[in-house]
Amino acid sequence: MSKIGLIIGREYSTRVKKKAFIVLTVLIPILVVGLMFLAMWLGIEKKKHVNVLIADPMNLCNANIFVGDEQNPPATFHFYQAQMDSMTFVTRNDMKAYDVLINLDPKVITYKTIIVLCREDVSSDAMDYIRNKIQLDMEEYFAMDKGLAIDEYREIRQRIKFEWHTMGATEEQEIRDKAQAIGLVFSIFIFMFILVYAAQVMRGVIEEKTSRVVEIIVSSVKPMELMMGKIIAVGLVGLTQFLIWIILIFVLMIGVQYFVFTDIMAPENWQDQGVAIGQISTGMETAEMQNQWAIVLFDYVQWPILIVMFLLYFIGGYLLYGSLFAMIGSAVDSETDTQQLMLPVMMPLMFTYVVSIMIQGNSDGATAMWLSQIPFSSPIIMLQRIAAGTVGIWEVVLSLSILTVTFIITTYLAGKIYRVGILMYGKKSTWRELFKWMRQA
Amino acid sequence: MLRVEHIVKQYSGHTALDDISITTKKGEIFGLLGPNGAGKTSLIRIINQITGPDSGKVFLEGREINRNDISQIGYLPEERGLYKKMKVREQSLYFARLKGLSKADAKKKLEYWFEKFEITSWYDKKVEELSKGMAQKIQFIITVLHEPKLLILDEPFSGFDPINTDLMKKEILQLKVNGTSIMLSTHNMTSVEEICDSIALIDKAKLILNGTLKEVKEKFRSHIYAVQYKGMSFGFANALWADYSLVHSEQIDDQRSIAHVKLLKGNTLNNLLQAVMPAVDIESVNEVMPTMNDIFIRAVNGEKGGENE
Repeated sequence: MSKIGLIIGREYSTRVKKKAFIVLTVLIPILVVGLMFLAMWLGIEKKKHVNVLIADPMNLCNANIFVGDEQNPPATFHFYQAQMDSMTFVTRNDMKAYDVLINLDPKVITYKTIIVLCREDVSSDAMDYIRNKIQLDMEEYFAMDKGLAIDEYREIRQRIKFEWHTMGATEEQEIRDKAQAIGLVFSIFIFMFILVYAAQVMRGVIEEKTSRVVEIIVSSVKPMELMMGKIIAVGLVGLTQFLIWIILIFVLMIGVQYFVFTDIMAPENWQDQGVAIGQISTGMETAEMQNQWAIVLFDYVQWPILIVMFLLYFIGGYLLYGSLFAMIGSAVDSETDTQQLMLPVMMPLMFTYVVSIMIQGNSDGATAMWLSQIPFSSPIIMLQRIAAGTVGIWEVVLSLSILTVTFIITTYLAGKIYRVGILMYGKKSTWRELFKWMRQA
Repeated sequence: MLRVEHIVKQYSGHTALDDISITTKKGEIFGLLGPNGAGKTSLIRIINQITGPDSGKVFLEGREINRNDISQIGYLPEERGLYKKMKVREQSLYFARLKGLSKADAKKKLEYWFEKFEITSWYDKKVEELSKGMAQKIQFIITVLHEPKLLILDEPFSGFDPINTDLMKKEILQLKVNGTSIMLSTHNMTSVEEICDSIALIDKAKLILNGTLKEVKEKFRSHIYAVQYKGMSFGFANALWADYSLVHSEQIDDQRSIAHVKLLKGNTLNNLLQAVMPAVDIESVNEVMPTMNDIFIRAVNGEKGGENE
């Protein structure tokens, strides 16, 4: 095995065997999936069916509320054609079967206010449902009271749908923006991975330097080999962790879907619900949004390309920043001394991160275009544009080429500084000094 | 074995090595001496090819040194260091393999050394669990494991107790017997006298003294003799005339004294004895040779040696 292979092997295996790595690698997917299902489970829990008693002394509803043919409605209506006060509702034994009391007394007609008494909190689903049904029923009562025929009223009542179009924009634009948002997830991922793993490279370099083990190693291998070995190994650790996360999340999702929530996970079910709830309320738009997301997720985004690009840009960006962080690590005696040197390296990274959120919905603007070419920002920005599909192949090729050339240059220069830095002790290094070392080596 | 020719190395603004040339013979222990900051570590790093010289060349066994020769060199740096969290066996194997040994070879040699030092129980310990002296031993093993032709030891005895220092000396001498050439950098002049065959003294980036231990001592010989006698010290002093100088005199009991006398103007020991014999009874005479400690201090303070003032 070549020497760089040995270095990679050691760096990789010690890192992968660390408790923190194992715990984090296993825990994160469990946490992600767990939280997702916890949220769903809480949602279901709230969907408890409620029995609503409508005290209707004036018989406004005619003992009937139109509910359509919905399956599993969140509430069922019962009628009581007399006054009912809250005391009675609370104390009377035969009232225990009802969770909610609604009094349709004459005040309702005058003040247009309905008081709803609940024994305990009702889910927002049930609240929407009850409100919609009774609202509709009362409106029809008022309409008839004013002498309108029910058909006429229903015609008036028909909801007007608003379609918003930006001039020149199409539905495709909307979908594109959503796809870009998916790209943003990758942007954030790359940003975090670069930050976490480049910092690990830096810590590794500092550790070798402070424990003085570095002098023995560089008497066997070239400093450049040591630096590259470390950077590559840590990158591989990152990719390993990423891969395990993806696989574990996938397996856990399938597992939980099969064994715990057999019905909810099916996509048909979410859509049904959306439409059903949306009969009157704004739910209709939600449903449409969900449809668009489904289109984006299942049809629009080209996952294989996106994932390959993610890997390429992750590797490129990581090598670029990893070599800079290794250089910083070599120039200091302890982690606390890194602050001053880190600033110029962290700035472009932070800046790009902020910009990557700001350019949402503007994936082909000038900012996005330029930043997807500049190598210090392209790994974070370009993925959004690739996801949005607003980028030409030549742009990707150009950006990847610039990134490659840049990381070769930075790695070369960082290596020069590194080989001087690792043997330099007790000096507080500044950037000016680093440039001096670069010329000296 | 090792030949260093006209090495010059400058760091931004100051010269670390100024035209240094030294030669070591095969199978000898060569002491590289000098005050702190003289440039020893810079020279050692150049020989190890950790850094390159600005000018000058290094030859190993007559050939100009190159990257591949690194596996022929074993280097124990002054500032010791091992991976703290790594286990002893794993770590030793790793370093051995970095020097080019195969895994099986490294294992075999590791077993030999661990059994020799009776430390096989440390195999699965992490370095941070070891005492300083224990870690030093591991470091020594790592340095010699790949059986280098040239061994460069920077302060090999620091951090060892007297028992282990002795053990290390024995091991170093044994390695010498087996044909290993050793370059040893130390401030411990006693051990230099005990084990070094040749020395080079560097001060302020310059080579100021170079040669076999015997040659160097000869150079700094001051022609002082210690004469132990029975009789009056007053009489002894009177018997000396202007061609001798009484450097030092010390009474050891009621009748006996030891006097350090320096011969001047080409006088011999015989002349001295003839001069003092009538005055006192001589019990013993021997030449006072300069210690390496003296030589070190005198050389660094600017004395060239060989000048008998």
